[in-house]
Amino acid sequence: MNATVARLTGKALFGGRRALLLLTLSVILVALAVLLRLSIGVDHQVSADFLGAVALGTMVPLFGLIVGTGVIGPEIDDGSIIYLLAKPVPRPSIVLSKLAVAVVATIVFATVPTFLAGVIMSGLSSGVALGFAVAALVASLAYSAIFLLLAVVTRHAVVYGLAYALIWESLIGGFVPGARTLSVQQWALSVAERIAEPGLVSSDVRLAVAGVLLAAVTILATWYAGQRLRVLKLAGEE
Amino acid sequence: MSTPSGGSTLAIDAVSRWFANVVAVNDVTMSIGPGITGLLGPNGAGKSTLINMLGGFLPPSAGSVTLNGATIWKNPDVYRVIGLVPEREAAYDFLTGWQFVLANAELHGLASPGDAARRALEAVEMEYAQERKVGDYSKGMRQRVKMASALVHDPGVLLLDEPFNGMDPRQRLHLMDLLRRMGAEGRTVLFSSHILEEVEQLAQHIEVMVAGRHAASGDFREIRRLMTDRPHQYVIRSDDNRALASALIADGSTAGVQMDEDAGVLRVQAVEFLRFTELLPRVADDAGIRLYEVSPSDESLESVFSYLVAN
Amino acid sequence: MPAHPDSAPAGVIHDIGYRHYDGDRLGRAAITRALFWHSLRGAYGLGRSARSKILPMSLFAIMCIPAFIIAVIANVGALNLSDLPLPYERYVITTQGVLTIFLAAQAPQSVSRDLRFKTVPLYFSRPLERVDYIGAKFAAMSAAMFILIGVPLLIMYIGALLAEFSVVTHSREVAVALLGAAVFAIVLSGIGLLIASMTPRRGFGVAAIITVLALSYGAVTSLQGILRYAQNDPTAAGWLGLFSPVTLVDGLQMWVFDTTSSAVAPPPGTVGGIGFVLVTFVLIGACWGLLNLRYRKVSI
Repeated sequence: MNATVARLTGKALFGGRRALLLLTLSVILVALAVLLRLSIGVDHQVSADFLGAVALGTMVPLFGLIVGTGVIGPEIDDGSIIYLLAKPVPRPSIVLSKLAVAVVATIVFATVPTFLAGVIMSGLSSGVALGFAVAALVASLAYSAIFLLLAVVTRHAVVYGLAYALIWESLIGGFVPGARTLSVQQWALSVAERIAEPGLVSSDVRLAVAGVLLAAVTILATWYAGQRLRVLKLAGEE
Repeated sequence: MSTPSGGSTLAIDAVSRWFANVVAVNDVTMSIGPGITGLLGPNGAGKSTLINMLGGFLPPSAGSVTLNGATIWKNPDVYRVIGLVPEREAAYDFLTGWQFVLANAELHGLASPGDAARRALEAVEMEYAQERKVGDYSKGMRQRVKMASALVHDPGVLLLDEPFNGMDPRQRLHLMDLLRRMGAEGRTVLFSSHILEEVEQLAQHIEVMVAGRHAASGDFREIRRLMTDRPHQYVIRSDDNRALASALIADGSTAGVQMDEDAGVLRVQAVEFLRFTELLPRVADDAGIRLYEVSPSDESLESVFSYLVAN
Repeated sequence: MPAHPDSAPAGVIHDIGYRHYDGDRLGRAAITRALFWHSLRGAYGLGRSARSKILPMSLFAIMCIPAFIIAVIANVGALNLSDLPLPYERYVITTQGVLTIFLAAQAPQSVSRDLRFKTVPLYFSRPLERVDYIGAKFAAMSAAMFILIGVPLLIMYIGALLAEFSVVTHSREVAVALLGAAVFAIVLSGIGLLIASMTPRRGFGVAAIITVLALSYGAVTSLQGILRYAQNDPTAAGWLGLFSPVTLVDGLQMWVFDTTSSAVAPPPGTVGGIGFVLVTFVLIGACWGLLNLRYRKVSI
């Protein structure tokens, strides 16, 4: 972990348009929650479905994409990462520092708004708010690690990451039952399932399996990103 | 790793680098020691590729690139000794000059980064602008701040990729002074350029690269001599080509004269440049021949370089 | 180059061989056409490096595969189908993920690169007006999206013909679906190009387009589901369809052409139908207007 790298990354991420986009998303999420609460009142099942589909299903992967690629993608793209790499700093340390910033960003823009949305719609009693907040946290952590790795590996990280999130998780996951075991969304849902009141959330994956897979994917992606950064070639424009 | 007083040597040994079926660097061997070395060559010669390899951002496809014996690729520790000034403009535009150099100092793990940053900014004379954002700097100011970031850890080796690009004469002189000081302190300084005069004024030792090959190496005087004492081709149009031709061939400074009837010109090959340039007007004047056109037909840098490669 | 007669023997402009062009100069229309074709080809990676062909071509293939499978299924006699398993007009909503990715990847390729490398002033220092530039880019992107949607529809149509379904019905249906596809293409392209032209950074443009399209669809559908089934309020649910481009055009398609709808809640009644049509056209107009506004000021 390198404080300077984290500081530079944080400044770049939170000072730019990306932060604005993220903020807009969070505000929309909370606004939708308010809208639902006003029109429907308190319905735990509705809250769980809404948070599962919109917050966890759409927003969290998008957050992970924007944040994960945003902490390293622009720097590789315009070549300014050379100032980080031409230093005697271990590459894994650079990756960890950037991931730390990504985690903070996802807590601010994904976890807290999800929790707020859950509380607005269902209050604290049903565990829906807490469950989905934790689910959002672990899912965005995993997504950030995956997309950061993707951003180190390829310049088109955003598009490929999207292809994964949209095609794999929605299309294939919807049609091929086995594929659901390998979906970050499902793992996060199983965490929410455990925390919320029984019956509100259902996941196809057992909690133990989900937990292990989440941890494994996050750690593996982070480690591999560090390895790829060691052999990063800066040869000019594409 | 050697300290500046010890002197560091970059060794490039039979190095080649190819991208798919394009060979950017072709079997180059050279050794770069303390003092200032200029890497000269036309655009596309492979200078940037070579410097990227020396900087550890590109592995050689063949051969080895080492600093004092240690491989540079995949070795972040070399950056304690190497300072890199990249060619690309991008830097952290949202930071002020001071913050940028300070961050670089911190990343090097220096004991007192603030002092180092201050010294580096003084060396490049950028203290007056250090509170402004890098994004608001002019091109020359940016270049100087990049220099400061490379100097902040007192490196034994400095690699500069086309550092004089876009600099006005005053800034260029200033940078040259700075680099001369670095060289005099025993550091190993390597910079690339495609302008012979720049390299001449600054470098004690010149390495010439053409089309990926190592074309020539030596003191700048030798290179200049090689380049000016080669045979020059001239195209001459006069009102009496035949008479001029016989007058020119009589002198030893021309090696060949060809009459091109269709174009109505003389093609002269001159082997002694200075003597020929004095000869031609004198001969024309003596014989009462009017010269309409005298133009060199191979004055391009490429032809110069290709001559060097061929020899 | 004409030589300047100077008072002092100072400067002369020599003729060093710049070639004059005294021939025909084609006008604005030709330039716009050329830009259109160039952008359209670029959207599929033609005329560019091999790497840039991979994504659009594979997306095109992915779009066609389900259509192909449907065509084959329709022809398998054993299943004894009397119609296509999936109606033409539902194809877009089913494959919208692929469309989103294509738009998100190729719209920035079309406009962001010009902004990033500051070549837009080069375009405008020719006899090319802003309207032409935007028109060409808009038309090209719409055409690219139309091909992306249209070809699979045609594949399904051929499959239906081979399976000897009713020619008249299917011809009418496919024609209607193609018209709907055209509207989809225009609406999506407008939004995509508008977002992409806001930033010179390609990656950010991609993320923003994806976010807008995926999020609007996800939020609208989920809310529609809640309102329609949990609250039993299909009218409100129907009106929500205005807020996502995909459901908007789907609603238009359903009301104007009387097709089946894939949305959770269709536009409510005649008023809803008219509203959907109006909003669609307003949206297209707004995208066009905002693009013009954006390119009013192009920095050197």
